[in-house]
Amino acid sequence: MSTATKKIVEERLYEVGELTRVEGEGSLRLRVRDGEVVEARLGIFETPRYFEQLVVGRTPDEAIDMVARICGICPVAYQMSASHAFEDLFGVRIDPSSRALRRLFYCGEWIESHALHIYLLHAPDFLGYPSAIHMAADHRPLVEQALRMKKAGNRLVTILGGRPIHPVSVRVGGWSRAPRVAELRDHRPALEEGLAFAQETVKIVAGFTMPTFAREPRVVSLRHAAEYPFSDGRIVSSDGVDLAPSAWRDAFQEFQVEGSNALHARSLDGKGPYLVGPAARVVLAGDQLHPLAKEALAASGYAKLIRTNIYASIVARAVELVHAFAEAIDIIDAYRPPSETLVPWQSRPGVAAWATEAPRGLLFHRYEVDEAGRIKSAQIVPPTSQNQAAIEADLVVAAKEVLDMPHEAATHRLEQMIRSYDPCISCATHFLDLTIEEA
Amino acid sequence: MASNAPVTARPRVGVVKFASCDGCQLTLLDLEDELLAVVDHFEIVDFPEATSSRSPGPYDVLFVEGSVSEPAHLERIVELRKQTRHLVTIGACATAGGIQALRNWADHDAFRAAVYTNPEWVHSLARSTPIAEHVTVDAELRGCPIDPGQLVELLTALTTGRRPQLRDEAVCMECKRQGVVCVMVSKGTPCLGQVTQTGCGAICPRFGRGCYGCFGPREQANAAGLTRHLQMAGDRPREEVGRLFAGFTAYSEPFRSMVTELGGTRTGRTGGDPDVAATTGGRR
Amino acid sequence: MVTRTAPLRGHRPALEGPAFLARPDLQVLIDLLREDGRRVVGPTVSDGAIVFDEITSMGDLPQGVGDEQSPGRYRLRRRGDERLFGYVVGPTAWKKWTFPSFVPLTRATKDGHKVTFTPEPTDDRPVAFLGARACDLAAIGVQDGVFTGTSFVDPDYLARRAQVFVVAVQCTTAASTCFCTSMGTGPEVSEGHDIVLTELDTGFLVDADSTAGRAILEKLPLRPATAAEQYGAAATVAAVRARIGDPVPASGLPDRLLAQLDHPRWAQVAERCITCGNCTLACPTCFCTTLSQVTDLTGGDAVTSRSWDSCFSPGFAKVAGGSFRSRPRDRYRQWLTHKFATWWDQFGSSGCVGCGRCITWCPVGIDVREELNAIAPAVPLVPETPIVEPVAATPNDFVTARVVASRQETVDTTTLSLTGTDPAFAQGSTGQFAMVALPGFPPLPISISRFLPDGIELTIRGAGPATKAMCALQIGEQLGLRGPLGNNWPLDRAVGRDLVIVTGGIGLAPLRPVLHAIVADRRRFGDVKLFYGARTPADLLYRDELERWGTRHGIDVSLTVDRAGPEWTGRVGIVTHLFDQGAWDGANTIAFVCGPERMMQATSTTLAGRGVPASRIYVTLERHMECGIGLCGHCQMGKYFVCRDGPVFSIGQLGDIFGREGI
Repeated sequence: MSTATKKIVEERLYEVGELTRVEGEGSLRLRVRDGEVVEARLGIFETPRYFEQLVVGRTPDEAIDMVARICGICPVAYQMSASHAFEDLFGVRIDPSSRALRRLFYCGEWIESHALHIYLLHAPDFLGYPSAIHMAADHRPLVEQALRMKKAGNRLVTILGGRPIHPVSVRVGGWSRAPRVAELRDHRPALEEGLAFAQETVKIVAGFTMPTFAREPRVVSLRHAAEYPFSDGRIVSSDGVDLAPSAWRDAFQEFQVEGSNALHARSLDGKGPYLVGPAARVVLAGDQLHPLAKEALAASGYAKLIRTNIYASIVARAVELVHAFAEAIDIIDAYRPPSETLVPWQSRPGVAAWATEAPRGLLFHRYEVDEAGRIKSAQIVPPTSQNQAAIEADLVVAAKEVLDMPHEAATHRLEQMIRSYDPCISCATHFLDLTIEEA
Repeated sequence: MASNAPVTARPRVGVVKFASCDGCQLTLLDLEDELLAVVDHFEIVDFPEATSSRSPGPYDVLFVEGSVSEPAHLERIVELRKQTRHLVTIGACATAGGIQALRNWADHDAFRAAVYTNPEWVHSLARSTPIAEHVTVDAELRGCPIDPGQLVELLTALTTGRRPQLRDEAVCMECKRQGVVCVMVSKGTPCLGQVTQTGCGAICPRFGRGCYGCFGPREQANAAGLTRHLQMAGDRPREEVGRLFAGFTAYSEPFRSMVTELGGTRTGRTGGDPDVAATTGGRR
Repeated sequence: MVTRTAPLRGHRPALEGPAFLARPDLQVLIDLLREDGRRVVGPTVSDGAIVFDEITSMGDLPQGVGDEQSPGRYRLRRRGDERLFGYVVGPTAWKKWTFPSFVPLTRATKDGHKVTFTPEPTDDRPVAFLGARACDLAAIGVQDGVFTGTSFVDPDYLARRAQVFVVAVQCTTAASTCFCTSMGTGPEVSEGHDIVLTELDTGFLVDADSTAGRAILEKLPLRPATAAEQYGAAATVAAVRARIGDPVPASGLPDRLLAQLDHPRWAQVAERCITCGNCTLACPTCFCTTLSQVTDLTGGDAVTSRSWDSCFSPGFAKVAGGSFRSRPRDRYRQWLTHKFATWWDQFGSSGCVGCGRCITWCPVGIDVREELNAIAPAVPLVPETPIVEPVAATPNDFVTARVVASRQETVDTTTLSLTGTDPAFAQGSTGQFAMVALPGFPPLPISISRFLPDGIELTIRGAGPATKAMCALQIGEQLGLRGPLGNNWPLDRAVGRDLVIVTGGIGLAPLRPVLHAIVADRRRFGDVKLFYGARTPADLLYRDELERWGTRHGIDVSLTVDRAGPEWTGRVGIVTHLFDQGAWDGANTIAFVCGPERMMQATSTTLAGRGVPASRIYVTLERHMECGIGLCGHCQMGKYFVCRDGPVFSIGQLGDIFGREGI
């Protein structure tokens, strides 16, 4: 974790051995020679944990519990992609109220994750602090309010799932328990407070000094005709991709890159890196945002810049915070317990695949299920894997912006850029595709 | 630094990560009501996820998340131990090897014979192991993830100088105190709560499903007795009972013996012919 | 459509005798209690179980819900009627309000050198328990003894307890896990309540046992209960008692249990026991607790709280040097001996009220009744063995036995207790007989009226010289025996069924071992009715046993005499008439009948009329027997040798030779 300054006449090296204020273990390495980028690498050295092997031989419900452990910040996303994938294969239609609860669940996770990222991980960069803890010394009420907002999201996940990290109640077919109306209503005041602060947050982050940056990446996300995308819709891109959520592999693939413990993803048409995440969603599905979120976006002045300035993802995240709070309140106001909390199901052999929108972007799961109802193979493509190529492409663009800055400030700026992706590195390295040949 | 910190020197605290999902560290950041108070009492000197301000030690208290899973970890944990007064492991990965310890049942030679054109990729050790297998651990918080109440209790114990109150009893006690109806008796759902250490607040039974043992086996857990009952009275096949124990703390005894004896894990195989993929251990 | 009668308020003359409340008017009771400022707590359905919770209306009660309980298993079911209390106890106990699982006790603050301890306020809001069963009332009484009955009184318990108003409910059904009868706590509600309800099809029989209860009753829309309603109520509760029987004969249990601290069974049950603590926390009388501290980060403000703990937790008996009860078997033994034995020494009562919760809610299905009966049995279980090889069978072969006791049952009937027989003799089966001989007298067939580990009993009516001589035997004198001979009453066919036993006079003697076997394992049988008649009260055999069977062992004993003196308060008439009355269903019944042949014929006809199939009506026949082994030819009846093929036969077996003159 050193910032090495090699001032050879032509070459500059910007290096961070261990990125901070990101989830997981990653490194940054950017080498510029005579103003040209010769190496731009997001190194990922997080230890792989082989989840795609661990779920082999297990049942769908066991897999739901297990894949949550890929990530402590976004376990709900893993449980959602998995449960929807199995339900799609088994032909299970969950109760409409169950479905509403799943959206509410995702609202809770988005709130927690975005609040964490905006205030604890990313805002310190914009305000010049090493951490939110340092920030609290000068802005205690702000940090306290941010923590309260994050708590409102965590509490929502807890009411539905027992605990905010690795919740327990998601099952194929619905929920092992549905909340009583009163439990959700009791939480409404906190959500209203959170909504107000989320709207405030959009204004605050829109007021940050935004570094200059311009690249218009391909963007990919889910899109649904009638709702902002969580777990349903079609996979679309800014340049014509339009797939069922189970059909990610029709347009994309994973591949191994030397020197990284994480697989990268690319599109089969060879069109280069693409971006998933809040910015992609706002661009591709912004018309489905809750009116309050649309309002906040419009007032921020960032509606167009989100498309081209990666640093402005913080605004996209804040806008999604408004959406999540507003939709959560709407769901709670309409909530009645499901008539069938858990729909009975029968396993079928075949391929179970689905994509949902984790806080950080598109999360694709694919499982092969055998005759006995056990998983034969698994493929999990997290958003950060998909973003790696885009991160490296952006490092190239960012390089031009930072060349004139003092070295340390430049390195900080590059880290800030990487943080704009809200990378979740534990997610990206959950796997390694091992092919074991019996000797 | 916080301006209203007490005059006495605050303990220097670090938070480090091995092979894990990050959830246990996040529990510290999720102490929303207490976080700023915690920071008043403790000086967080090294916590890469939360702060860019780093320090290599020494630490008065070091929270270690994650299991030892690759060669670099072996050296790193020893070095960290030298820098630390109180080493506290947090979470099932650090205390029990985690869910990734299921690979410990895989055929190691087959594992190593995996086709790797690039040896630099194979950073992993054959086994994922708890921290305590490598260095002395002063305290542990179990769970997947740890319970925020227990974390606050531990922190309070550190500030006040008393022993942390971490109950060693079955999850059943917590169910009964809360009035949660036993899922095993009223629904026939297999539940590991009887042999699992309490600490989570009986979440799973409270939410209508069986405990999956993420806080690990309790002292004197009679896993054999429970297994016999599930097989006989519950009429469940060996392998199903084995999978029940093959969870997030599978590598801790006596769960480990149950998994070995009953089966419930498979070697890491992706795709391929299910007839070829064998169940390791506990062959019928 | 159900109409509610208008609530009567204000002055109304108090009703004499039992009163009746229509079911819809239960709401009036709930409303009255709430108007008094009480939270009403009662049974509700939640998560597949009946749990106690706050209710505001009758609609919150589990209408039409029943329960099925067995070790480690609990399920609710639809009863198909509208009863509100048609189940027994669930996993929660009333101690949730009097002795909650988590209670803050004391707040301690530290300010510099000064420390202050302040008691935390207690929750003593008035509460009404609606639906408390006899076992649970007894449990409340037991905890009263623990928390307020010794020199140290728990103020939190006392404050909460003082605010409790109890509406008890008589059990109209029993679970297979109930054993209140053995613990002497039920099923009848006797004390500890303010109001008691007995549910019938359309409402409740109501009574009050306190001033507060009577005050509420006066405001309820009651009417006098009819005789049929009163009878129905009593019969239902009696049927519950009969159904439960006496699974754990408890007289002398404390001493028997404490004498077995090294019994090998402790280690055996410990292999099954997970020491999870469910039994102790489901138990309504367990009272062990532990303290915990919750402080802020400075430690300057701390609250000490008390929560339920269990002697099963490994750390419960721990001190710095280790644990006093480190092995699971030690902890299981601690629990059982405390609950059933040493509690008496500490608090003057049993700790157990027989509610059965520890049996149902043990996740691995350990049954304390089974454990107690294995470790400290009251009566040696009579094994159900098939017919044994006679010890002495051939006509020239006798074993001798010595008289150790002689009891005069009636003016002409004596019961001899004999020992010194070959132990195999005593393993005979109920219904068998022995050929009994005194030198110089012809050997006679006598039914064995009791099997003991070291001998037998013979009940002999001195009708002729030989039997008179036997009756006259003194202690220490001997006689000769051949046997055991003949077949047995098929008690194995009675398992799980209702049993009707009809007999008169000396006929009870061959049936007495049947009753002993039933009592030893009561819960394996359904309703057991004994109809027994004699010429006069003085001719009734085994009076003390009849009394015990009826009051303590769940046998429905009906007695009658042909002729009664002034002191007889029971029925008069022949036993067949006695037997003909009363409501019982023959569908699941097996009958054992013994008496004069005419009596057996009449009884069989009546039984058949009640739907008992001929294959399940058993009689025992008496014929002239000399050898007892089918060689002398005297006892033939049709194709059967009564001594060898009988003496017990089913009516179906006999066909129409039974009752035919001159066969």
